[in-house]
Amino acid sequence: MDLLVQRLRVGLVYLFLITAAFLSIFPFLWMVLGATNTSADISRGKIGLGGALIANIASFLEFADVPLILWNSLKIALLTTLFTLAVASIAGYGFEIFRSRLRDRIYRFLLLTLMIPFAALMIPLFIMMGKLHLINTHWAVILPSIGSAFIIFYFRQSTKAFPFELRDAARVDGLKEWQIFLLIYVPVMRSTYAAAFVIVFMTAWNNYLWPLIVLQSNDTKTITLVVSSIASAYYPDYGAVMVSAILATLPTLIVFFLMQRQFVQGMLGSVK
Amino acid sequence: MSELSLRQVSKSFGSLKVIKEVDLEIEKGAFTVFVGPSGCGKSTLLRMIAGLEDITSGDLDIGGARMNDTDPSKRGIAMVFQSYALYPHMTVRQNMGFALRFAGVPKAQIDRQVMDAARILELEPLLERKPGQLSGGQRQRVAIGRAIVRHPKVFLFDEPLSNLDAELRVHMRIEIAKLHKRLGATIIYVTHDQVEAMTLADKIVVLRAGRIEQTGTPLQLYTDPDNQFVAGFIGSPKMNFLPARVAEGGDGQGGAAVTLEDFGVTVPVAGLTGLPAPGTQITAGIRPEMFNEQASESISVAVEMVEHLGSETLVHGRGAGDLVTIKYPGISAKGDGSDRLDARFNPADLLYFTGEGARIR
Repeated sequence: MDLLVQRLRVGLVYLFLITAAFLSIFPFLWMVLGATNTSADISRGKIGLGGALIANIASFLEFADVPLILWNSLKIALLTTLFTLAVASIAGYGFEIFRSRLRDRIYRFLLLTLMIPFAALMIPLFIMMGKLHLINTHWAVILPSIGSAFIIFYFRQSTKAFPFELRDAARVDGLKEWQIFLLIYVPVMRSTYAAAFVIVFMTAWNNYLWPLIVLQSNDTKTITLVVSSIASAYYPDYGAVMVSAILATLPTLIVFFLMQRQFVQGMLGSVK
Repeated sequence: MSELSLRQVSKSFGSLKVIKEVDLEIEKGAFTVFVGPSGCGKSTLLRMIAGLEDITSGDLDIGGARMNDTDPSKRGIAMVFQSYALYPHMTVRQNMGFALRFAGVPKAQIDRQVMDAARILELEPLLERKPGQLSGGQRQRVAIGRAIVRHPKVFLFDEPLSNLDAELRVHMRIEIAKLHKRLGATIIYVTHDQVEAMTLADKIVVLRAGRIEQTGTPLQLYTDPDNQFVAGFIGSPKMNFLPARVAEGGDGQGGAAVTLEDFGVTVPVAGLTGLPAPGTQITAGIRPEMFNEQASESISVAVEMVEHLGSETLVHGRGAGDLVTIKYPGISAKGDGSDRLDARFNPADLLYFTGEGARIR
């Protein structure tokens, strides 16, 4: 009897896990299968391999200058990630290391900014970018994303696990503060950097609303804007939408799988 | 000749003064141990010498030059940290040569100095490993090697053995003592473990609440402590303190007597000129190992517990007040199966302290 109950319990757990896995994977599967079907087949709800892959790719290539938009997306995502990591890690290190009466007040104020919704910032940001003559340039997308309070918070929390005797040892060894940061802190905290890289890169790559507002000409647009504009055409070509969606998803998947191990380590705490 | 000297050195964090007017001379080649309870300021004092903490007031000289405002790397010191503080992303070789690389020493010379240190510490087979692949004892040796490579004027050790297990700690203690002999280096060593202090030190500096309580050789501190704190801190098991009262004043040569109040025993006192007036409350101290069968006086103790440690036997008991520990050498049946024990001692082995804890001499 006990054995039966135990088996039933295990069975239920598996059923739950299979359902959850299916719900997670199905959209990807549908996206890949959809890329091989015609728009009509997709609309009809066909789930299965079709023969329209080449036609869909051709139609997508016709719609947009694909290498250029991929390059735009990659450039924006990489630059945003690099600048964000640089600024946030220096800030996190500074907040944790340097004692000052103002430190905690500034930090609390910084955390408060997490509560401001982006919608409230859009218009002032747009006016700022306009005054700086950056509208319709990639800098208009990159610059506002760099000072991320959340990533600063993440770095500060991770820095708490940084062994501060290493900093003392480095000072005795003759390193200046910036050398300690570059030669000791950065390599020791590499899992934290990896996890932050994945988070920021994905957010920047998938960023939609703000680029939609500031990137106005076709040659500056990113892949997310192109996917959206194909999907919102008067007669959307769903086959081409699926192809573009695959292209939009692929880089984030690659980044995640390449850094998966460090990402998990970074989330658990990077210093052992 | 003095290698390092501290003159009226103080340190404050805001309004809190943690190191208070410390004066200290450390001779070249001496092994000096800072010892004291947690929070006494011993690590802070070491970090001030290293340059990791600012000196609020006073002067620090190393090798005859004032070093108060000199960068840590230019003070001629090397430090071994409690957690070893090895750079986890570098190999043992890189860890050991790192400071020299930064000082602009030519590569061939770095290699030679690293190899010399590795040979002394038997680290040669480990040079290409990273700290994560080493055991605690090996990491400790690398940390010491990193200090040796720099040929410093003064080595600073901050509780270097406290992360090791008991067996390894004894082993490393001997290694450090041998190393000191071999290198003839000036070493300042911080510990809260008085056994480490007694076994390693040429000179012990006992600190309490940011002040030096006493400085001296291990045996000076053991036999002739300046105050009750030092008497209690040095020695294991610690000294017994018994409430006492001056019975007769005498003339400083003889005739004086003190009553041990918990036991109702009056013992003669000789050679103390500073004994206060009869009736004054004082404290008598006697080390557990000073009790012996052949002695002239005795106290009667109600036995509470006997510990047989093989090499010694500890009997814990009391008179009217606090617990008293009596130590007999080897395996002893004293105290076993009986309620009371007559513990014998020589009055000359008693030390006396005022109510404030100062030694009465």
